[in-house]
Amino acid sequence: MKKWFSFITVALLATGLAACNSTPSGPTKTLDELGYNVNGLPIVTEEVEYTIISPKNALALDYNDMDIFKTMFEDTNVKINWNNLSEETFQTTKQMIIQDTRNLPDAMYHAGFSDRDIIQYSAAGTIIALDEYLDNMPNFKRILDARPDIKKVITAPDGHIYALPRVEEMGLLQHPNILFINKEWVNYLSDNSLLSLNGQPMTVSIEGGNLEATSTEADIQLKPLTIKVNNQVVNGFTFEQYEVILKAMKDNASLLTSANLIPLTFRFGGWQGNQSDLYAAFGVPENIDHLTVLNNEVTFTAVMEQYKQATNFFAGWIEDGLIEKDVLTQGEFDFLAKGKGTAPRLGSFYWWEKETVIKPEWQDQYVALPPLIGPNGQQAVGVSNNQEISKGNFVVFSKAQNPEILLTWIDRFYDPTISAQINYGPIGIAYEEELNADGLLVQKPIPSGMTADELRLKNAPMGVIYLSYEQWAETLVMEYRARLRLELLDVYIKPYVMENVQQLPNVSFTLSEMNTINRYGTDIYSYVYQSTTGWLLEGGVSDSAWNTYVNKLNQMKLNDMVEAYQTAYDRYE
Amino acid sequence: MVNVKRKKSNMESRGDKYFHIGVIILMTLFALIVLYPLWFMVIASVSNPDSVLNGEVWLWPDTIDFSGYVKIFNDPAIWTGYKNTILYTVIGTTLNIILTIPAGYALSRPNLPYRKYIMWFFIITMFFGGGLIPFYFLISSLGLIDSFWVLIIPQGLSVWNMFMVKAYYESNVSLELIEAAQMDGANQFRTFWSVILPISKPIIAVMILFYAVGRWNSYFDAMVFIRSENLYPLQIVLRNILIVNDNASGGITGEDIYERLRLANQIKYGVIIVSSLPIIMIYPLVQRFFKEGFLVGSFK
Amino acid sequence: MTETLKNKKTKSYTQYGVKRNWQLLAMLSGAIVFTAVFAYIPMYGVLIAFQEYNPALGIGGSPYIGLDNFTRFFESYQFSNLMINTFLVSFLGFIIGFPLPIIIALLLNTLRSTRMKGIFQTIFNAPHFISVVVLVGMLFLFFGEYGLINSLVLQFGGERISFFLESDWFRPLFIGSGNWQETGWSSIIYLAALAGVDPQLHEAAKIDGASRFKRILHIDFPAIFPTISIILILSVGSLLSVGYEKVLLMQTGTNLSTSEIISTYVYKIGLTGFTEPGYAAAIGLFNSLINVVLLIIANYSAKKFSENSLW
Repeated sequence: MKKWFSFITVALLATGLAACNSTPSGPTKTLDELGYNVNGLPIVTEEVEYTIISPKNALALDYNDMDIFKTMFEDTNVKINWNNLSEETFQTTKQMIIQDTRNLPDAMYHAGFSDRDIIQYSAAGTIIALDEYLDNMPNFKRILDARPDIKKVITAPDGHIYALPRVEEMGLLQHPNILFINKEWVNYLSDNSLLSLNGQPMTVSIEGGNLEATSTEADIQLKPLTIKVNNQVVNGFTFEQYEVILKAMKDNASLLTSANLIPLTFRFGGWQGNQSDLYAAFGVPENIDHLTVLNNEVTFTAVMEQYKQATNFFAGWIEDGLIEKDVLTQGEFDFLAKGKGTAPRLGSFYWWEKETVIKPEWQDQYVALPPLIGPNGQQAVGVSNNQEISKGNFVVFSKAQNPEILLTWIDRFYDPTISAQINYGPIGIAYEEELNADGLLVQKPIPSGMTADELRLKNAPMGVIYLSYEQWAETLVMEYRARLRLELLDVYIKPYVMENVQQLPNVSFTLSEMNTINRYGTDIYSYVYQSTTGWLLEGGVSDSAWNTYVNKLNQMKLNDMVEAYQTAYDRYE
Repeated sequence: MVNVKRKKSNMESRGDKYFHIGVIILMTLFALIVLYPLWFMVIASVSNPDSVLNGEVWLWPDTIDFSGYVKIFNDPAIWTGYKNTILYTVIGTTLNIILTIPAGYALSRPNLPYRKYIMWFFIITMFFGGGLIPFYFLISSLGLIDSFWVLIIPQGLSVWNMFMVKAYYESNVSLELIEAAQMDGANQFRTFWSVILPISKPIIAVMILFYAVGRWNSYFDAMVFIRSENLYPLQIVLRNILIVNDNASGGITGEDIYERLRLANQIKYGVIIVSSLPIIMIYPLVQRFFKEGFLVGSFK
Repeated sequence: MTETLKNKKTKSYTQYGVKRNWQLLAMLSGAIVFTAVFAYIPMYGVLIAFQEYNPALGIGGSPYIGLDNFTRFFESYQFSNLMINTFLVSFLGFIIGFPLPIIIALLLNTLRSTRMKGIFQTIFNAPHFISVVVLVGMLFLFFGEYGLINSLVLQFGGERISFFLESDWFRPLFIGSGNWQETGWSSIIYLAALAGVDPQLHEAAKIDGASRFKRILHIDFPAIFPTISIILILSVGSLLSVGYEKVLLMQTGTNLSTSEIISTYVYKIGLTGFTEPGYAAAIGLFNSLINVVLLIIANYSAKKFSENSLW
């Protein structure tokens, strides 16, 4: 017994010690004494120092060594003491770092603060409200005035703004899937009369789709795609026709390739290259969250009648070997490797782009297709919920002295020219010193021995930026890969987005809404995932099993969860 | 002892000979089952990862490409990693042995005062713990965060290992041995030092092995508590080399992303080989101590 | 081997008590202090299980909600499934994985050539060093749709088996790969104990005409029995503690009915960006309580049927 008491005492002592605040150092100077100046440089005449903690990528330099920050120090006279740690360490210890008041830094970058973090920490007074300092952040203020949608998204339920957002608007994230097909194989099968629909021979020809010979990096030109079925130009394949093609690929695999042929593959539930577009052909505005906004109503797609129909249909394709079973299990790399190897294996696939998937020498065999035409004649896609405006990137702790100075410093990140450098690397390393003919920053060629990736990761901290849609015409040239994809999306995806369907914006939730969503969401999503994958594998779902499934979801408080989303969404609108 | 063995070996019966052959066959079979995947790792670490994933590499590598290894060894952090891990392992294991062996011995004595309470004191910690949060604060208040000693001290004792030591002494230390020593006037410290330790070689060897390997392979504590790159142990360095394609960090071109993934997939096998080869080689050294056995009959 | 010490009491050993045996306590002092600091001081974290933990308020400030976290777990639709799955995968693994290292150790020990012994042991130990990620990666490669095993199956005229998609295959794969990886390493402790066997006993038995098999049964096996008991008891006491890493890597949507266990469930709770330390702690505590009960039962049985027990 005595031993227990002494242990408890020691325990309490230790907790007490750990929770103790360290006394701050000497008297702080006022803004005037420091020569604070909101507009123009330097920000302060007397050097001021702040500590910021931030996770960083393993390939990146220590932020204290990055050129962009060295330049910023010279310009602003604000010294930042960066405290870097690995992303994994950060994820695991973030809570504890914040609680460790003795060693707390002044601010956190790449903070990844969820809505819940913001509500809880603001309530406890750990972080400061940034909207009270808008006069110290001219760039940020301008953004909020110009973009009320951003303002709405980052405002917490109590009306304050506690964390800075990151804005990178390219128009790509909303559509992470494009369907690609090996047109050479299709044309070959057709030329050799190996395609037949309902007993009747079918001819298919796919022409165009790749880059024109005159296409340059500055001026992308795509050849238009022409699909002909039985000599009639069509806008896309119906499921029946596509099924014929896939079957023919499978049955004649030995004529097409020496490797194990896969007619159609993707990653079920993957971030990119997922099954959403296939489901969309049945009228389900699908994405991997099964959650979208239809006619301003938050809709859970996995209980829609069409969802059942789609599942049953594709279960058939899996059973016939037209969709490989690996879609349910393969990791990203496993998937990507299938487009390489000694001989082409993929008949068609869904992915972000084809360059990552297919070996360079086979690239031209593959072209993008418009969405498949569903049984009701519908040719449509849904929208993913990937956000271009991310929240919770930067917070300031209440212990920071003269936060105005720090905030003016970080406000510079929102200057588009600086944003460009934060995101890709400094001028001189990532960008040419001279602007191009249109007055835009243009990327420098990569030094040999390094990939573009490595150059970027090493020199660019990324994080708080404002690269809105306008910036690509006003400040910097969008990278080639992104522009190419935009072209593809403009032709093959965006015209087909379902009417009245929008993505769920990055709304702010109240604590009770978050609790509801989290409490029920884990089990609900697990159940949906388990059921759907099971049905796909077992040939489909019967009506009675479907009804049981829907009832069970209702028992799991599905409606409450959707309600929570709806309320948050309504508040936003 | 050895000579006696040799002389008697011709007395082995036929049944025993078959038994012996049977054992060898069985062991060889197991060895092959164990070996094949290991061999696979070796050839996969030099082959083209695309071929590996496409099922084209099973018995032989398709090319001999050491670029994965080159990448691993070119990273200067690797050498710091090796150095740090060796230091953490050697110093740490020494601490482990000092804490564990005497304790395990003491627990094996029936005349240990409060024996049951002490046993329970330890057993409880095997089941209940406060979790990472209070542990983090403890480490922080001890000033150990991001320090060299944080990978040595807090891992000082494994209760499981201590119980193994206890079991060993319970079955291998006879009453007569202790009595004989005590009759010679030795107290308990002396008994332990002069009588018990010399016959503890097998268990000490095993404990060194267990603790050293545990430390060598560990990464969680380092991941949580170490931030300075010059303190990283080997496992963290290797893990960082492997961790790729985090969307938050973004790559620029599709090919680049693919290249990173590809290298990672080739490296992941090489990494295992690089990190475990040194320690696997320790095993034969340790195994020598098993052979020594101990001299029960020495006092007879 | 002579009798264990618990039974014999000679004159020097009837002296129990602190005064006579303080030196033993001194030998334990390091371990006790260490455990007190690093295991007992942080134990107040157990309180989290009874709280609605708010990281902004910490353990000291978060509100208490009694047993709510526990009831939430019991009422979860997955509760019984999780318990059953965890128990089955652990128990079945135990039934196979426990005797195997013992058998290997006993057999290996009979080899006379230390060189051969060493080579075998080094080979058997190697899999232990493979990280879980690589191990499962290899499993996917060997047992995947287009993997080695399926090629062999096809060659023998069978049909492709989706090892990872069929829930019935999860346990065999999980347990089998675990055995492959750990059997060799687990046999080390038994080999060490066997090293302490006096060779003269074997000589005496041989002279009496005992076969190798008999000798194993009557000399080797009893020698390692205390070790076996302790490991047996401790293993039973960790029956419900199956870690999440390997299982999570092996999970697919369609094998969740057998592969979703307590620790993966707890892990996923933290995944939706919404860590709930209180809920996770409660589940962990519940888990531990069951383990303790199992341990007590195991120790009690061991005491009844043999002389070796943990306490």
